[in-house]
Order: sequence, then structure tokens, then C-alpha cells
Amino acid sequence: MSRGPRAVPIPGAALGRGVVIAYLSIVALIPLAAVLFKSLENGTDAFWDAVSSPQAVAALKLTLIASVIVVLINAVFGTLIAWVLVRDEFPGKNVVNALIDLPFALPTIVASLTLLAFYGPDSPVGVNIAYTRVAVVAALLFVTLPFVVRAVQPVLLELDREMEQAAESLGASRTTVFRRIILPNLTPAVIAGAGLAFARAVGEFGSLVLITGNLPNKTEAASYFIFSRVESDDPVGAAAVSVVLLIVALVVLLFFGWLSKRALRHEE
Amino acid sequence: MSIVVDSVSKRFGDFVALDDVSLEVRDGSLTALLGPSGGGKSTLLRVIAGLEAPDSGTVSIGGEDATQQPPQRRNVGFVFQHYAAFKHMTVAKNVAFGLTIRKRSTEEIDERVDELLKLVHLDGFAHRYPSQLSGGQRQRMALARALAVQPRVLLLDEPFGALDATVRKELRAWLRRLHDEVHVTTVFVTHDQEEAMEVAEQIVVLNDGKIEQVGSPKELYEQPANDFVMGFVGPVSELSGRWVRPHDVEIKREPADGAQEAMIDRIVHLGFEVRVELSLGDGERTWVQITKSHAQELELTAGDIVWLRVAVPV
Amino acid sequence: MKSKYALRFVALGYLALLLGIPVALVFVNAFQDGIAAAWDAVTTPEAQHAFYLTLVMVAVAVPLNTIFGVLAALAIVRQRFRGRALLNALIDLPFAVSPVVVGLALLLVYGSRDGWVGQWFADQGIQIIFSTPGMILATMFVSLPFVVRETIPVLREIGTEQEQAAATLGAGPLQTFFRVTLPAIRWGVAYGVVLTTARALGEFGALSIVSGKLSGETETATLFVENRFQRFDETGAYAASVVLALMALVTLLAMTVIKPKEGQT
Repeated sequence: MSRGPRAVPIPGAALGRGVVIAYLSIVALIPLAAVLFKSLENGTDAFWDAVSSPQAVAALKLTLIASVIVVLINAVFGTLIAWVLVRDEFPGKNVVNALIDLPFALPTIVASLTLLAFYGPDSPVGVNIAYTRVAVVAALLFVTLPFVVRAVQPVLLELDREMEQAAESLGASRTTVFRRIILPNLTPAVIAGAGLAFARAVGEFGSLVLITGNLPNKTEAASYFIFSRVESDDPVGAAAVSVVLLIVALVVLLFFGWLSKRALRHEE
Repeated sequence: MSIVVDSVSKRFGDFVALDDVSLEVRDGSLTALLGPSGGGKSTLLRVIAGLEAPDSGTVSIGGEDATQQPPQRRNVGFVFQHYAAFKHMTVAKNVAFGLTIRKRSTEEIDERVDELLKLVHLDGFAHRYPSQLSGGQRQRMALARALAVQPRVLLLDEPFGALDATVRKELRAWLRRLHDEVHVTTVFVTHDQEEAMEVAEQIVVLNDGKIEQVGSPKELYEQPANDFVMGFVGPVSELSGRWVRPHDVEIKREPADGAQEAMIDRIVHLGFEVRVELSLGDGERTWVQITKSHAQELELTAGDIVWLRVAVPV
Repeated sequence: MKSKYALRFVALGYLALLLGIPVALVFVNAFQDGIAAAWDAVTTPEAQHAFYLTLVMVAVAVPLNTIFGVLAALAIVRQRFRGRALLNALIDLPFAVSPVVVGLALLLVYGSRDGWVGQWFADQGIQIIFSTPGMILATMFVSLPFVVRETIPVLREIGTEQEQAAATLGAGPLQTFFRVTLPAIRWGVAYGVVLTTARALGEFGALSIVSGKLSGETETATLFVENRFQRFDETGAYAASVVLALMALVTLLAMTVIKPKEGQT
């Protein structure tokens, strides 16, 4: 074997890789490892105690149930909105399309304030859900809105209209076409978007801070529980629940990602 | 600059792209690497350019061993099938790229770019972007770009493969003329035997990573080294168990020495030429190509019995 | 088809109730005591410092994450190495981590009391947590993936031929990168930068933990909003929110303009 010239030589390749890995480690990987270690610092019994305390369980339950509800709602509405944005025409559509990303761009604390303005004690329409569990759902709906919409839109745009036309020429009604032709093609995207939305929802903090009141065992989400544990100088407890939250988010992300790819393969 | 390839081998995983290939390309010549897809010709070209490293063997350019040199050092011009245009730069900046890298003066660059754009008939397009050019124009730009730095060797990888038939024919002739003007050692890859025969002085036939034959178009056509070359470089039909050129078969109305009896199945008129499809006694079929006038002379019709003999080429 | 209007009505209605009206209300509430009051609220020394600090976060985190992003994209797309798929997956971690967990994580490593390396830094007189460096780290963590994610598909799309051509024309690796590769991916990178900036501007959860929330010192604009609200200074909270919302709208504008160009070269 002769040592010939490399194809498109990149002498800095190994260095670049090293910088990337070092950066990632310093900023993210090592700190996350620290959380894992801290959670087990006092042994697995302490870990278990921390995550099974009534307040922790209540917080986790609230977060998980709210996240599931929110993902289901926004999966439906997200698809609907994507449909309207792609297939419909109306004045101002471009503006509406741009505004979908507002929850991405708006700081979460401002989101909390905006929801409080409309759905809180000073609500101009008299709807006051502040300090209730509904507020948790409302806040999470706000922040997870863009995920499914943005996942579905490109798929809808690419969709082969001829498929629908073929189905119609064979006698299928519009609803049937939607149910049997369009929806199956959108499913992978909806699933992928839902996974991302769920991961976002379980970790959400800023938008919940002002409108829910963060009442322990009532409207306190897992994220706020972790925060309160840190403030109470109980990093082990905080770390334990953090690990649970992390695992849930990762498992869902991976599972939904796998599910989405599997659904996609059927399309090939 | 001459090119000498010595015992070059290259594999990609299990796939053997080049198997102990040796080749000499004369200085100033116009050579084609011809062969079917996957035969190794693009790989060989890229090894010469330094875009691939051979597993073993050496490459010399102008007498110097270039095997260890990266493409930057080899001073080879390379033209890609899909142009590889720098889409974010104007045509002028594309052509100037090699000179800009070498930090030549603005005047020198402008002058040279002008010269080259005129050479490739793209003067007036200097400030356009590649996306505004047709395929053929983009390829001419790519050529100008490669020539700008006065490479020792010019390599073209299926340069006309992405263009449609008329443009292809035009550019073929144009490449030939360009070579006559510029005289740089040129090697191009093609799977189109017509293109190779029309353009190149010397053809290297590659198949399955090995060189089947090297020769002029005439040599390859008339004295093919083996069945593969014969079949690849021109049309073949079978007669008396041999492969022959359909043009080289005589049709006789009477039996003759060494002639085989056959019945005409079908006569196909291909414009200037006529293809006569025949059945031989043993159930085999063959075909012969003759000119229209000759067919008319012989008054051939389907169902006729005729005698076929291979005419010995002069 | 009547259903078309029904769908449109439901979609737009949902958006109005969830997004449009609440956000519009922020603007209304900010000026409920008049424009002067709102202006005063966002020009107090604390407010000015808060916005200044937010911009510092952005000014440091975004360029660093951009360089990281481009390097990581190059490594993932153009190189072959063991662990490439793992690296690709790890970069997405910030999407799965709650901001408060980010804060906790950084606290555990860089905290001056029991932090893994924080103690050492404290001995050198360098305070990371409850000070600007820690806040910058938090901002970097949460906005890490965007440039990578947006650059990878664009880098894949342009392929290596242009870079090979540049090599044959004599360009070295750095020259090729700056003259050929980077210009070709610029819109993907730009979009990633916009997303990174938006995320950095809006960070709240992690900063809640690592900043110490010292007003006038370690309080960013987002923390300032919370602070004003907790002190019943509604005008202050809403006014600062308006400023942040305007920044968000500018971000949206940039996103809308740049997104279509991502496909171009």
C-alpha cells in the first residue's frame, strides 16, 4: 500500500473534530454527566425517595399528562393549520405563516405574561384560568404550537397532487381522499413533530412561571419542582427528578423518531 | 507533458476499480479513456488528477513522480461532468479563480480572463452567473477556468455527458479544435464510443479495471484485440461462429467460395444505409449493413436466398 | 366548498386565541399608563443594564456557537469517523433538556462551592456561576444545535465537486473553505444564526438558576421581566416584554426572508 495524496485533503480535520468534541463536552456533556452523578450521590435509595415524594410525583404526573394532552391537541390543530397554510389562499397568509414561529422567537417569560394578560385575572374577556391546571395546558399549547405545523408543511407542499386526482377519478370523496391518501403521507411528519413537541413540553419552564402560580401538588410542573429543589439547596433531589425528566424526553424523542422513520419507509 | 501511469491499482471496499493498470500518454496528445460504466475510467482519471489516491502504483507527469502530490500541486486542469461551477461567483470570477489563488495582479487576471472567454466564445457573459448559463455554456466556462492556470495536463470527466445530443456534437468538434489551438496534453473519459472515435487520437479501452486495448480509432475498429473491444467500439454481427463487422460482409446472389447460405427475413431502411436481417441454415440469425445504392443494385427482397461472405478488410 | 371556510375559520381562530390576541394585549398593557410611563420603565438603570447584559450574552454565545456549528457540520458531513452518528445525536441533546436542568448541570460543574471545576476556578479568583461567564455558558448550551442543524443539509446538498475543482485549481484547504465552501452554505448558516440569536435572547430557565438574579448585575432582560412582575410593576414588565417581543418580530422577519434562500447557493 503506497501512501498517496489524500483525496481533497483536509489537514485540520482531526483538529476540527477535537475542537468540536471538546466544545460540546465543556458546554453540555460534562454538565449533564454531573447531573447524573449527583442524582446517585447518596445512593439509589435516596434517588428513589427523591422522585417518589408526593410533591415530586404530583409534579411529574402533571407535566406528563399535560404534555400528552397538549401534543394530541397540537397534532390535530397543527396539521389543520398546516393544511390551511398550504392549500388555502387568503390575504395576509404570509404574515400568519411567519407568525407561526412566534413561540420559537418569543422569550418564554414573555409568553407567560401574554397568556396571563388574556387568560388571567385582568382578562378582557373575563376568562381567568390563572393558577389552575388549565393554565399549564394553555402555556404548553403556546410553546409547542410550531412543531407539528412546521413538520407537516414541507410534506404537504411536496405531496403529489396526482395521487389525490387519481383517487378522485376512481370515485373517492374528498374526505376519503384525505383519510386514505393524504393523512397516511403526513403521518411520519406528524409523529416526528409530536415527538419534538413532547420533548419541549416536558421541559418547559419560563412560560409556566407567571400564569400557573406553581402551587406544589396542584399546578407545579416538574421543571418548577426541580427549580424549587435547587433553591432549597437540595441538588440531589433536583438532580434525581432531572434525570427522570431527561430520560422521559429522550425516550420519547427516540421512539417517535423511530416510529416516524418506520412510517416513512412504508412510503418508499 | 506526458503522463505515465505505472501498475496502478485501486479498490473501494470489495470493488476493484483499477487492477494493475499501466499507461503512457504522449505529450500534447488527445486521448480518450473509453469503457462501460464502472469500468474504471473515471477512477483512473481522478488518480491522475490526485483526487483519488491509488492503493499501489505510481503516476508521473512530465517525468516527475506525482503520486505523493495533492491535486493542488499537480497543476492539472480538471473538468467535471456536472461542471462544478462556483455558483456564487460570476463567470469571470470562476475563470479567474486559479489566478486569484495564485495572487496574480488584477490587470494580469483581467487580461487572461478576457482572452479565455474569447477562446471559449463566452465573451459578453463575464458578469453573468452560472445559473444563467445553459449546460453547454457552463461547460465551456469550466474549460476556460481549467485552462486559465496553464495546466500541464487537461483532464475531462465525461465532459459532455450531462448535455443533450446536439450540444454534445457541437462541443465535441469544438474540443477537437480547441486542442489543435492550445496543444495541451488532454485526456477525457467517455462511455460513448462514437465520441471517442470522433475526437481522440488515441483511445484506451478500459473494462472491469483493466486495459483491454490502446490504439488509434482505426486500429481499435479494424484490429480489435478481443471480442469485448470489438463489440464496444463498433457494431458486430455473428457469422460462421465469428464476430464480424456488418459492413464487412458481402452479399452475393450466387454461391461462392467460403460463402454461407442465408435467407433474408427483413430489410430495414435506415436512411442512407440498409440493414438486412437474415436467417442462416442452422437457425442462427445475423445481419448485414450495406449502402442503399448497393441494396438497390442487388434488388434484395425479403424471402430471397443469398450467400454471405466476410470480406477481408484492406 | 363550505368546509374550506370552516377549516380556515377554525385554524385562524385557534391562532388568534392562542397567539395573536395575547401578544397584541402585551402591547396594549404596556402602554396602559401612557407611552411616557412605558418608556421610563425600560430606561431605568436596571432595565438598561438588563438589555445590555442580554446583548452581551448574544454577542458571545452566537459567534461561538456559529463557529462550533460550522466545524461540527463539516465534521459530520465531510468526514468519516467512529462515533459520527453519536456526535450527531448528542448535538440534539439541548432540545431534550429542560432549561432548569441546564442550569442545575452548569451549577454542579462550575459552581464555586462544590462544582467539579468551579472550586478550582474560584481559587483562581474566577467566578463562573452567579456571574457573567456562567450565564454565557448557559446561553451557549441552550442555543447550541441550531447552526449545526441548518448547515448540515445545505452542506450535503452542495456536494464536494466544487471543492474538488478548487483543489485542482490550486486552492489549499483554508482557501477552499473560505472562498468556495462557506459562500455556498452561507444562507443555511445565516438561518442557523438567526435561530441561535432568538434562542439566546429568550433564555430564562437556565439563567434563573445560574445568574443569581442580582438586579443591575446579573439580570438579563428576561429575568428583568419576571422581576418587575413579582414587584407588581406591571407597566415595567409589559414594557420590557414589548421590547423583547419587537426583537422577536425582527427575528421572525429575518427568518422569513432567509428561509427561502436556504435552498439557493
